[in-house]
Amino acid sequence: MLTIPGHSQRFCDGLSRRNFLRIGALGMGGTFLPQLLRAEAQSGLGSSHKAVIMIYLPGGPPHQDTFDLKPDAPAEIRGEFKSIPTSVPGTRICEHLPLLAKLADRYTLIRSISDAVDDHSDFMCQTGRRKQNQPPGGWPSFGSCIAKVLGAADPAVPPFIGLEPKMQHHPYNDSGPGFLGVGSRSFRPGADAKSDMVLNGVTLDRLADRRALLAGFDRFRRDVDSSGLMSGLDAFNEQAFGMLTSSRLLKALDIKDEDPGLLARYGKGDAKVHGDAAPMINEQFLVARRLVEAGARLVTVAYGFWDYHGSNFSNARNDLPLLDQGVSALLEDLRQRGLEKDVSVVMWGEFGRSPTINKDAGRDHWPRANCALLAGGGMKVGQVIGATDRLGGEPSERPVMFGEVFATLYHCLGIDVNKVTVPDLGGRPQYLVPDGCQPMRELVG
Amino acid sequence: MLFSTLNPLPSLRRAFLALAISMGALPAWCVASEALLLQFRPGATNVLLHGKDAAQQLLATAPKADGSEVDLTRTIAWKVEPANLAVVDSSGRVTPLANGQGSIIATTPEGQSASLPLLVEKAEISPPINFANQIVPIFTKNGCSGGGCHGKAAGQNGFRLSLLGFEPAEDYEHLVKEARGRRLFPAAPERSLLLTKGTATLPHGGGKRLETESDDYRLLIRWITQGMPYGQPNDPVVTKIEVFPTERTLPLNGEQQLVVTAYYSDGSLEDVTRGALFEPNDKDMAKTDSLGRVKVFDQPGEVAVMVRYQGKVSVFRGTVPLGAPVATLPPAHNFVDELVFKQLKKVGMPPSDVCDDLTFLRRVTVDIAGRTPTDQELEAFRKDTAQDKRDRTIERLLASGDYADYFANKWSALLRNKRTDGKQAHGTFAFHDWIRQSLADNKPYDRFMREIVGASGDVDENPPVAWYRQVRTTQNQLEDTAQLFLGLRLQCAQCHHHPYEKWSQADYWSFGAFFSQVSYKKGERPGEDTIVHRRGVAQATNKKNGQAMKPAGLGETPLALAADEDPRQSLADWMSRPDNRFFARALVNRYWKHFFNRGLVDPEDDMRDTNPATNPELLDALAANFVKSGYDLKWLVSTLASSSVYQLSSTPNQYNARDRHHFARYYPRRLAAEVLYDAVNTMLLSQSKFDGVPAGTRAVSLPDNSFNAGSYFLTVFGRPESSSACECERSMDASLSQSLHLLNAKDIQERLASDSSRASRLAADTQQNEEAKLRQLYRVAFSRDPQAGEVQFALDYMGRKTKSAKDDAAKTKARREAYEDMVWALLNTKEFLFNH
Repeated sequence: MLTIPGHSQRFCDGLSRRNFLRIGALGMGGTFLPQLLRAEAQSGLGSSHKAVIMIYLPGGPPHQDTFDLKPDAPAEIRGEFKSIPTSVPGTRICEHLPLLAKLADRYTLIRSISDAVDDHSDFMCQTGRRKQNQPPGGWPSFGSCIAKVLGAADPAVPPFIGLEPKMQHHPYNDSGPGFLGVGSRSFRPGADAKSDMVLNGVTLDRLADRRALLAGFDRFRRDVDSSGLMSGLDAFNEQAFGMLTSSRLLKALDIKDEDPGLLARYGKGDAKVHGDAAPMINEQFLVARRLVEAGARLVTVAYGFWDYHGSNFSNARNDLPLLDQGVSALLEDLRQRGLEKDVSVVMWGEFGRSPTINKDAGRDHWPRANCALLAGGGMKVGQVIGATDRLGGEPSERPVMFGEVFATLYHCLGIDVNKVTVPDLGGRPQYLVPDGCQPMRELVG
Repeated sequence: MLFSTLNPLPSLRRAFLALAISMGALPAWCVASEALLLQFRPGATNVLLHGKDAAQQLLATAPKADGSEVDLTRTIAWKVEPANLAVVDSSGRVTPLANGQGSIIATTPEGQSASLPLLVEKAEISPPINFANQIVPIFTKNGCSGGGCHGKAAGQNGFRLSLLGFEPAEDYEHLVKEARGRRLFPAAPERSLLLTKGTATLPHGGGKRLETESDDYRLLIRWITQGMPYGQPNDPVVTKIEVFPTERTLPLNGEQQLVVTAYYSDGSLEDVTRGALFEPNDKDMAKTDSLGRVKVFDQPGEVAVMVRYQGKVSVFRGTVPLGAPVATLPPAHNFVDELVFKQLKKVGMPPSDVCDDLTFLRRVTVDIAGRTPTDQELEAFRKDTAQDKRDRTIERLLASGDYADYFANKWSALLRNKRTDGKQAHGTFAFHDWIRQSLADNKPYDRFMREIVGASGDVDENPPVAWYRQVRTTQNQLEDTAQLFLGLRLQCAQCHHHPYEKWSQADYWSFGAFFSQVSYKKGERPGEDTIVHRRGVAQATNKKNGQAMKPAGLGETPLALAADEDPRQSLADWMSRPDNRFFARALVNRYWKHFFNRGLVDPEDDMRDTNPATNPELLDALAANFVKSGYDLKWLVSTLASSSVYQLSSTPNQYNARDRHHFARYYPRRLAAEVLYDAVNTMLLSQSKFDGVPAGTRAVSLPDNSFNAGSYFLTVFGRPESSSACECERSMDASLSQSLHLLNAKDIQERLASDSSRASRLAADTQQNEEAKLRQLYRVAFSRDPQAGEVQFALDYMGRKTKSAKDDAAKTKARREAYEDMVWALLNTKEFLFNH
């Protein structure tokens, strides 16, 4: 029914999805067609809702071998890679990111994230908070907060979609809705919701029969419920049926119809799972773009495995070109689709890596410095914010906290972090970012 | 600004009072013609304006024959005689112009009028400004000291104010002395950074908060011009505020002006309506503006408006009746019915009829036993013709182990019986078992609480010590105790004065002192603790000022306890005192919500003056009777479930569809994750398989949270993780993941299609005809028989499915598939998913 990038899925009876779509449309005739058409009509390009695409690089990529090269450091720190000039005079990045180098005027680099923690986890990248002293239930992730505060932009598309697969190292995917509860959880078509999205043991015809039967049985008066839960349930059932047959969400997830040229521009990446984290599926970036276009407010992508304790340079030589191709394609695509002002992109890992190169030609964990790439969303681009010292060991200018980046992204979504709160389980209104974090003036001032 | 009541009275004022009193025949606290009242404060007969800054908000009210009162403040014509004395604006606020006496006259468009005597004195004099009383409220009202701006702990861009102005002395330091005094500029007050930022003349992250033409701005200018006085040490302080009126019945879409009076320590009073903050507890019911006007919407119910000024709160309660005639009421079974019906009559909302027998049976079985009724139970109940069969059903369910299972499941989550690693299983199982046994034995609730809060020893000998494993710090212990057993959310008061409550940091830490001597020692088993009382005098340090606080119940005087007394026993003593204002009320409200799906106070653990009960008399009566019963939980359940109110149909009549507060009908609720899980298994005739417990264990009897991780169903339908003392951790929201799961989960589909499933058995059953089988299926799913149309619809489906089958084998297969489809469809209906 649905193609999760990298994992081609077919129905148990061997029919392809296109065949099914046809059967579905015939079999259900008048019931679904108008609905489909309505959904199509709503799917105008460049829809004006604001959204974020977050690319998480599990394991922590080396900042000094990607966006913060240290050509003046001694060889045992500098490493093997050279820097190249970019489209922004004076800004140089790694030679293995040539496509991104050409687009440096489309994004801003932060080189001085200073509050990373030495913990292989997406927690900081999803919440901007420490794991210590959490309120009961835990801190909600960025996406859960968005889902809670803004709700769905389009009734047919969940506001928060996580494309990452279930990663083997649990903390790479453990950041959940926290005290906001399962209602604000991400919809994860590549992980826990995956098996529910493929028709299990019944044909589309039979599903249509069942649906008609359900409509006949389900005569309970909706007006007995004034809380809105029953109508909410009906809406979700509609969505679910849509997903099992054909719907906007499903269409967004399915890239088969995309222009082959565009697909080639994004590249294939590498479908193999890297380390105990994620594969490097470049089509995910395209899916993410399609999802925000369809109405998602946050789409998260986990990409690769960057914990280079050994063979830092040979690993990076393999991985960086894939990342370069995918992310540069995404940035170009967002501009071409007229989404650049509405959709923010953030890319980061949980920490940077050590200045010194260890005996295995690797770099070890280095939470004292970390970098991030930010693009779109109406942010001021073409800049470099902050710097690390000569060895890439400590932020030397404008230390930035994860929370400031989140405050900036909330700002881009139109959420005022100084006003909006969400209630925790003790009833305390909690602000969305840690105390003292404000949208960064350099980006949105 | 202040109008003082100090003696001796100035001669003019004495003469004025004499005049007012000589008007003799007037009602006690108003001066009015028959149907028009001019008021502003209980007991006040005349308006005194003292000083240039004085002002008084007035109310004009028309009492109606039906007992309601209509606010005319903004529609009436105000005037002052003589006119040069003072002026009343269109919102009914009078401000002075010149000294003298006269009267304020209000006239309705119909020509009715009423008047109030007025005295203006010292209209030429601006009294010296007091920082705490006059300046700080400006920051609070304009949002400067809010938690998102300068009021947060770290301040905003270097400028810090105390949250909501709770600490004026600190605010003065920050404003006047910090940053080398650059925030204020007495030589040219309007150039002060405070004002140029506040008016957004200079770029200000918080935008424009102050208008240069406002009273607030002028007052700030004057204060700076006067050299930023803090005030004198013996200046009066606010001791309380009172809103007037405190209660009103409002028509749909009606409005009400409020007047807020501050009472000062020197006995003086002041109208602070314009300085106060107003906030409704239900934003779907009402909105407020900064002038103190409440506007209710087109929604009948109860609404409370919190009024806040200088850390003091007061509450206005509005009742918005529907006003329909209540001709007949179901029979009143007990005091619950009497008090609910009394309110329904008052607000004019006719209740739905009492539900039919089978609806009652399903509802009460779900709510007491956490499961749907069996076919045998249905049959027996149907045959029973005795008058008291509903009451006897309640008693039967209460005596069953299922009651203990279901309520143990509820309490286990609230008591944070959480397993975070495998080693803790012994403790979580033991604690769950202890909770379950306590409920089965109907242990008095005060003893239940005492055995948990006062628990000492090892989990083997005393399982409730397991509570202390998850609730480890003094703060967590006092906060959980308050939230769970007292219905109070004290969290805020740890770091600052509680914004919606009277509780201060001193109250917080005094309450925490009860837990100051709790000590953890390594337990007998790995991963378990032994809890002991550490000998010593109980006290906790107030983080605000470092003061040592002795243990004290909330609102009580501190206790002096000897070093060998475990203070937790004194805490339990205080909580279980019959006159404790919180303990019994919190529990009856919690149980009320369990059965009625909305608390009398809601959320159920946020009980405060500013979030009052929708039916306070009922809450009081339930609490008093619960105490009288000896804290008997089964008595409580039986009282609630046997009431006619609980047994009302959920189907609305023409009046009560939008009722959310008065329990004029039963409010349906989705089945809880565990109950739904078990009900699905019952429908499918399949058994649960959870790791570490026997196959077939019902989800409601699972001992701790650890089973959620292995069950996507339980997770996605919101079974709590036992992380907090809040019922709200259980998510009852709907979601796409839930819908997809119930419609299409592989696991459910496989069990549906398995050879042992209900569908395959029904298909294979040759003893009964299809209609009989269908009836049985309906009874399992909905606890009722299908109606004729439903039977026909299902039979038609069956016929269609089997029609094209060529031979017997194909027919059997088709029949089985049809049953699978029907079981599937039934368990996706609202009627199945909801308790209704």
